Amino acid sequence: MNIIIGTIVIGAAAVWLWLKLPNAWWRVASYLASFDTFLFTAPRVLIALLGAGFFAELLPENEVRQLLGEEADIAAVLLSVVLSTLTPGGAFVSFAIAAAALRTGAAPVAAIAYVTSWSLFSTTKIFAYELSFMGRRATLLRILVSLPVPFVISGLAYAW
Amino acid sequence: MPSLKNTEADPPPIRKKRRVIDGSFLVLSAFTAVAGIAVFLSSGAGRTLEIVSDTSAFIIVLSPKIAAGIFIAATLPLMLPKEYVGRLIGRKSGLRGLLIAAFCGAALPGGPMMTFPVAASLGAAGADLGSMITFISGWSLLGLNRTLIWEFSFLPADLVWTRYLLSLPVPILLGLAVRTVLRARE
Repeated sequence: MNIIIGTIVIGAAAVWLWLKLPNAWWRVASYLASFDTFLFTAPRVLIALLGAGFFAELLPENEVRQLLGEEADIAAVLLSVVLSTLTPGGAFVSFAIAAAALRTGAAPVAAIAYVTSWSLFSTTKIFAYELSFMGRRATLLRILVSLPVPFVISGLAYAW
Repeated sequence: MPSLKNTEADPPPIRKKRRVIDGSFLVLSAFTAVAGIAVFLSSGAGRTLEIVSDTSAFIIVLSPKIAAGIFIAATLPLMLPKEYVGRLIGRKSGLRGLLIAAFCGAALPGGPMMTFPVAASLGAAGADLGSMITFISGWSLLGLNRTLIWEFSFLPADLVWTRYLLSLPVPILLGLAVRTVLRARE
């Protein structure tokens, strides 16, 4: 159901954007850019989802339940934060891993901490893109002010 | 919301080539290969093939979303009036500027190879560091494309909603924090 709703929303946004393209010249530019993005994205999605599937199979159920399970405390959140920064690949990898961990018995709070912290601190994003485009000072400042966020969000989620 | 760039006279931006195979792609491939071999060794060929076919079926179900998402991710950055937005979210723009920055970040699709160059060009057009960090955090935490295409496809809806609603004010708060820190230092 979620997939269908998401498909409709995204599809509508795509149609709206297409209608906004002013003329044939822009449409061609948009198709070319879409083609380039497809070439870039498709192999990544394929390999990343496959890797996430394999990874889920390898998750040690007992350890996940023990370390990230129902009694999830600050240590579990901290572990999720550390693991998230080391996750390679795009958003789908982190979501797939979070989903696999949930299935193996991880607490929702740990999954929220993991996804939030991946969004903010994924090292591949920081080293491959942020440092080169934003510079050291801006990157460091962003990381410093964002540090409490995964803990606060998962704390609030826990209380909720 | 500012109107998109759509005067007939404006030419579309020049096409930029991206390398399909780069360092992060190789890391990802190595990760998948190692995990695949480990599954093969621990659970056998049958289970490995089962995972491959499950994943393929999942990708087929997701493909309309992925296709629409790719079109948006490729087209919206072409149309975004960066100069105009950059001027709107300058240092004196207050809370309103941060709101616009967070909204633009959440609306901007695409990966980091798209977002960080846009953030840098907003800075060149007049945005201050506070609103640039709000923009990046809005994209990181609230990216609509990512949440609609991927997050809802993988994770339970109540968990996604909880995370999203709790994260809603965060980009603004981070921008305010950065502005406060920088002002204190002057």
